[in-house]
Amino acid sequence: MNPLSLLNTNGKQPAPTALEGDYVATLPQSGRRTLTVALAGQPNVGKSTVFNMLTGLNQHVGNWPGKTIEQKAGVYHHNGTTMHLIDLPGTYSLTANSLEERIARDYIIKERPDAVIAVVNAATLERSLYLLAELLCLPAPLVLGLNMVDVAAMEGVHIEPHVLEAALGLPVVPMVASKNKGIRELVDAVETVVAAGENYAPCRPDIREDHRAVLDELGRLISDQVPEPYPVGWVALKLLEGDDEITEMMRQRLPGEIWRRLHAILSEHEDAALAVASGRYEWIGRMIRAAVVRPRTGQISLTDRLDRVATHPLWGLGVLSGILALIFWLTYTVGAPLQELLDVYVVHASAALLRTALAGAPGWLTGLLADGIIGGGGTVITFLPILVIFFAILGLLEDIGYMARAAFVMDRFMHLMGLHGKSFLPLFLGFGCNVPAVMGARIIDSPRARLLTILLAPLVPCTARMAVVAFLAPAFFGPSAALVSWGLVLFSLLVLAVAGMVISRLAFRGEHSAFIMELPLYHVPNGRTIGLFVWQNTVAFLKKAGSIILVMTVIIYALSNFPGPGVEDSLLARFGRWLAPVGQLMGLDWRSMVALLSSFVAKENAIATLGVLYGNGAEGAGLAGTVAGAVAPAAGLAFLVVTMLFIPCAATMATIRQETDSWRWTAFSIFLLLALSFGAGIAVYQGASLLRVGV
Amino acid sequence: LQILNEGGTHTPADLAHRLGVGQGLLEQMLADLERMGYLRQMPARCPSHCAGCPLDGRCAVVEGGRVWSLAEKSRG
Repeated sequence: MNPLSLLNTNGKQPAPTALEGDYVATLPQSGRRTLTVALAGQPNVGKSTVFNMLTGLNQHVGNWPGKTIEQKAGVYHHNGTTMHLIDLPGTYSLTANSLEERIARDYIIKERPDAVIAVVNAATLERSLYLLAELLCLPAPLVLGLNMVDVAAMEGVHIEPHVLEAALGLPVVPMVASKNKGIRELVDAVETVVAAGENYAPCRPDIREDHRAVLDELGRLISDQVPEPYPVGWVALKLLEGDDEITEMMRQRLPGEIWRRLHAILSEHEDAALAVASGRYEWIGRMIRAAVVRPRTGQISLTDRLDRVATHPLWGLGVLSGILALIFWLTYTVGAPLQELLDVYVVHASAALLRTALAGAPGWLTGLLADGIIGGGGTVITFLPILVIFFAILGLLEDIGYMARAAFVMDRFMHLMGLHGKSFLPLFLGFGCNVPAVMGARIIDSPRARLLTILLAPLVPCTARMAVVAFLAPAFFGPSAALVSWGLVLFSLLVLAVAGMVISRLAFRGEHSAFIMELPLYHVPNGRTIGLFVWQNTVAFLKKAGSIILVMTVIIYALSNFPGPGVEDSLLARFGRWLAPVGQLMGLDWRSMVALLSSFVAKENAIATLGVLYGNGAEGAGLAGTVAGAVAPAAGLAFLVVTMLFIPCAATMATIRQETDSWRWTAFSIFLLLALSFGAGIAVYQGASLLRVGV
Repeated sequence: LQILNEGGTHTPADLAHRLGVGQGLLEQMLADLERMGYLRQMPARCPSHCAGCPLDGRCAVVEGGRVWSLAEKSRG
């Protein structure tokens, strides 16, 4: 097919609009022996391959004048014509937002090449056409190099080049540049389009109908003031788009009165950029409908199929609940026996060995090392297997791409329950650690909503709280531990949802929020990535165990033995008994209350403290067994419920102070969480007592 | 923007399906709306002063995917 026949296919020249009027007069004359041709295209569409195929060794690399961006230029000889080829920087569009985009558009406007080859990726034609829509508004005839047609065909995208040519009104050359297919035809098309001269009349995108009159008005207003070589229509369009560079250029050139009128029009039509973009989208849609036989939108990938279930409002929640249950089941089935083995054969064996070795040493030293550091801090180390399994499963879920789906499903669920999405996202970060949850509230614009979100962020169960639950749930509930843990997480989410509703009612009344979440493709997990995730988290935990937890263990041991002789006569016991009235309402003795309080330093301290306080009188038995014997299941459940809702660690409280910039709100947060957690704990224990279950 | 102003959480695939366009063009639309100030891309990682936190970079559950929220300009 002769590409010339495609130009002006309807056989008549359309009336020039404000956009088109400039081009006809500036088109190059046909019949030249030397042509300047620019190559334009988005990154990774094969533009450089086309350039290299054409120029071979006849190319040189430098910089664009006054810029640090690389410029490639070369020469190609064909049928007695010499083509000077300029490789423009790869860009997705032609706004003034990046240096590359400004270079590309300035070159075409100021240097006026005889033709521009727009290279597009046939497999992603829809997006590639956006750049073409912008190039069509510049004063240079275009040829479309439809590259990678082989890749498009493999992906099920079937394009009819001749239909696309007819629809666009410019030559379209199907190519596989990497195999040197279509290169010769591309050059022929360039010569043809240059020869066409005034017959070149492509189908250009138009601005959305409701803003056409405004565009024309702008064109009339500035027509005498636009400097050469800028096309008036293009400048008017860029003014409507809010292009900073062009707006500044016109502000400097226009007389005061005209600039004020222009500025008034632009202020009145601040949304005109949307009308310009909408016009382009509509134009792209028409081209795709005309020329693409099987667009990719109709295809269903494996990710789409899986997401139909995983992100479904109802099934997605079911999948998430199932995965949570599976996490706990696996953690307890595999991790709990390992933890017990470590407790008996490492902690107790080491403590016994130490006592033997230090037979002649002072009693306080033996007690501090064997009962304090090993019995307390060592116990924290025993739940390393549980944490490793927990982190491995989390790492696996994140690596295959599921965690983003979990966030998406939960966000949808929270929206259904009335929770404002802007609060949910930072709150969700709290599942890892409450500190980023508090900091994440910065994305919320309203100070009131931000404050409420910060106050409620500690209600999200972080991994450290989950570790405490993971250790104690099997002790209290044996084979039902997975079910109880699962219930505790759901309970926390319920509290979160109720809290979220309160935030929405108080802070976001009548305000809608919307999110667009990009979900990564599912992929085969990488063992190294998961291993690294587990390693980093485990090391972080061990560092905490070797520093904060160890120091706290020593302090707790000292306070529990001073002035003595036994733990019941210690300073800690006196302090603990002061808390006993509140503890009794939850079925908890002073030891458990002290353990809860010590978790303020770091959540895992609760275990270490229990290790010190219960371990003192429980030779030979594991901590879990000792605690299970001393605490009734109902009281144990109350302890876990309080743990889930209790004041967060000191680092989180410090962050709350920093983010609210107020000691008053920090104190209020502590009071609120104490009231919530103890209230829930008391309700659980008193409820169980009334029903006579587990008391 | 009308769809987004109704509220809720969407994926690009959802939006592309509802608008009858391909994902590639939808990406361009999102880029345009972000550039025009109608959408705001949210940070998916911890703020810089989280450096040193053992969970830095791993606490962001949406890592690997971008998240946009409506900017004030888009309220219509």
